[in-house]
Amino acid sequence: MIEFSNVTFIYNATRADGVKEDTAGVRDLNITVNDGEFLVLTGGSGCGKTTVIRLINGLIPYFYNGELSGKINLENRDMREMSIYDISEKVGSVFQNPKSQFFNVNTTDEMAFAAENQSRDPQEIKTMIGTTADSLKIESLLNRNIFDLSGGEKQLVACAGINVLSPNIIVLDEPSSNLDHRAIGKLTDMLKLWKKQGKTIIIAEHRLFYLKDLADRMLVMEEGKIKKEFDADAINRLKYEELDGLGLRPLVLEDIPFEKTEETTPEKFVELKDFSFSYKDKLHSIDIPNLSIPAKCITAVIGHNGAGKSTLVRNICGLEKRCKGLLTYNGKSMKYKERLHSCYMIMQDVNHQLFTESVADEVMLSITCKKMNEEEKRKKAENILRDLDLGDVTEAHPMALSGGQKQRTAIASGIASDKPIIIFDEPTSGLDLCHMKQVADRIKELKRFGKTVLIVTHDYEFILRCCDHIIRMERGKIKESYDLNEKTVNKLRDYININDGGKENV
Amino acid sequence: MEMGLKPSTAKGVFRLDPRTKLALLITVGIIMMSGKYTGVEYTLRLICICVPFILLLSVRLYKSAVIAAVLLLATVLCEGFIIPKTSGLVNLLIMIVCGVISRFGPGYLCGWYVVRSTSVSEFVTAMERMHFPNVITIPMSVMFRYFPTLKEEYASIHDAMKMREIGQSIKNPFTHVEYILVPIMMSTVQIANDLSAASLTKGLGTGRKRTHICNIGLTPVDVGLIVIMTGMLALFFIF
Repeated sequence: MIEFSNVTFIYNATRADGVKEDTAGVRDLNITVNDGEFLVLTGGSGCGKTTVIRLINGLIPYFYNGELSGKINLENRDMREMSIYDISEKVGSVFQNPKSQFFNVNTTDEMAFAAENQSRDPQEIKTMIGTTADSLKIESLLNRNIFDLSGGEKQLVACAGINVLSPNIIVLDEPSSNLDHRAIGKLTDMLKLWKKQGKTIIIAEHRLFYLKDLADRMLVMEEGKIKKEFDADAINRLKYEELDGLGLRPLVLEDIPFEKTEETTPEKFVELKDFSFSYKDKLHSIDIPNLSIPAKCITAVIGHNGAGKSTLVRNICGLEKRCKGLLTYNGKSMKYKERLHSCYMIMQDVNHQLFTESVADEVMLSITCKKMNEEEKRKKAENILRDLDLGDVTEAHPMALSGGQKQRTAIASGIASDKPIIIFDEPTSGLDLCHMKQVADRIKELKRFGKTVLIVTHDYEFILRCCDHIIRMERGKIKESYDLNEKTVNKLRDYININDGGKENV
Repeated sequence: MEMGLKPSTAKGVFRLDPRTKLALLITVGIIMMSGKYTGVEYTLRLICICVPFILLLSVRLYKSAVIAAVLLLATVLCEGFIIPKTSGLVNLLIMIVCGVISRFGPGYLCGWYVVRSTSVSEFVTAMERMHFPNVITIPMSVMFRYFPTLKEEYASIHDAMKMREIGQSIKNPFTHVEYILVPIMMSTVQIANDLSAASLTKGLGTGRKRTHICNIGLTPVDVGLIVIMTGMLALFFIF
């Protein structure tokens, strides 16, 4: 049993402009989690759900600094008297970013790692790894290099490690944000297994659809407090509209209505010819003899991990020299070098593409027009930033911004660069409903600017909200390409639903 | 070249204990770095250049093994038979070129082999068996794990620069360095932070004794090699 009584935690943080500012994680929180309960914590970004997870796994107060008051009991022991080592024996954690939670390079070593630290018998650990791999059907993931795995596979390895340790309490912090539907299916299987074993599970999550049948209770948080509480029955009765009103993502994907706001018939097309490319390891290769992408529209590129979506957009951008393909737009055929001048990609990790010391400089860096002088450039940059709601942070350091602001800064640079084709790589991973809607609106604005937008995404709700055209890839080839409307939306639903059932469709 | 410790342990007969690898590395390093070109020391040098060849073969780097063997043999033979017969500028040139290759090459190749053939957990286990404190072992193992991360981050940042057409001009190399360094530092600091948090929740670094699932241990081959290496070092220092 976990009991929070009057828990308040305040982070000691520093603001973008260097001023010290304390932000509340949670305020006066009272929660009791029973043994074997499956608890879902949800709410908008910054609502305090991650803080609750950190309080349970001991990262607060042992890793994150701040002021903690109130009392937390973990299995009838005061957590203040427990060392992080004691806690780590009882609580297993899965984090949001699969990239940065592994200590080892080898997957099997990683699965054994937590158990090794608890001085378990090596023979016992090996047997446990065997049974875990067997019950999850992940034998193929044993003895691999972590750096060769996809995000979904990495999350499974993280879960397997916890299963080997087998603690009573398991906490997960947005484990699905980087996963496609098939990987989420596997994650769901893992959660089901844990639930059956009687583990206490606490999961903080935006995407709720895969938790509907698992959750015993759901807490909706806001500003560090519990705003609403639903038990299993109430969760089942929740309607799409109610969730939307609470700012939550849907529990049932089928409920999401499809309303076409504006019909756009593309006049022109971006034509791709002979796009074939393979990496040295022969994985994620693509082979696309012909493809038409509607110009000045928003096109979603979907498909499972490893289908070659990222390879395709990298090639379109001109990032791969060995690609012999030609892209024709406005009667102009472009090889990879020219494509670099006409495509702009907003990467999943925007930290990689912010280089300067202020937001305004960042945007001005992209204005390459030689006729403009500094003054005109600055003016143009400021206009773009104002349009994107960044008017008051023009002088801030890009790295000091929030995730959403960073992404908008990158979008602003894309607009400033005057390139006709803008590509997004999973722009909504880890976003709550409100921010997802914001991104969708920004992207629609780009369309109004006359840009051709390509989006690699797994986010079904997001696709329905803003995309005009769908390209589905499978094993490096184009499987389907269609305009999204009332008739074709079922195709998309089929694709998602098949995977919801956990069935393989390859 | 692959960086970072190898993910899986090498299979097959030729599997050495990390301690043996260390002995090989040190012996080859010392003898090649400081040996003379005459007498017993020259014979020892000839033996030592076979070591990287065999080691690279054992991790299936056939091409590199052959290139290394030919190059090293050529330079060492040069040192033994051509250098004494030349003089003046030619002598100096050959001395420098051969010196650099034969003195640093073998050590470098052995180091490459160690990195290629040892997994992080083997490394940690071996360090603990040799009674190195955790304060040294853990940061070092994290460092090895970090190389591939740096490589990944560098690749994405490089792509982003290409796409934004910045830092490409040769005229100003410092801007290039700055544009690479700022984001790479930002993202690696973030990753390091997350990594420490994750390791803490997995109970690392509490000073309690860990157990290990990887089997490392000295086989007769290991013992034999260590004896030979010690013998060679002894000979080297006596003469």
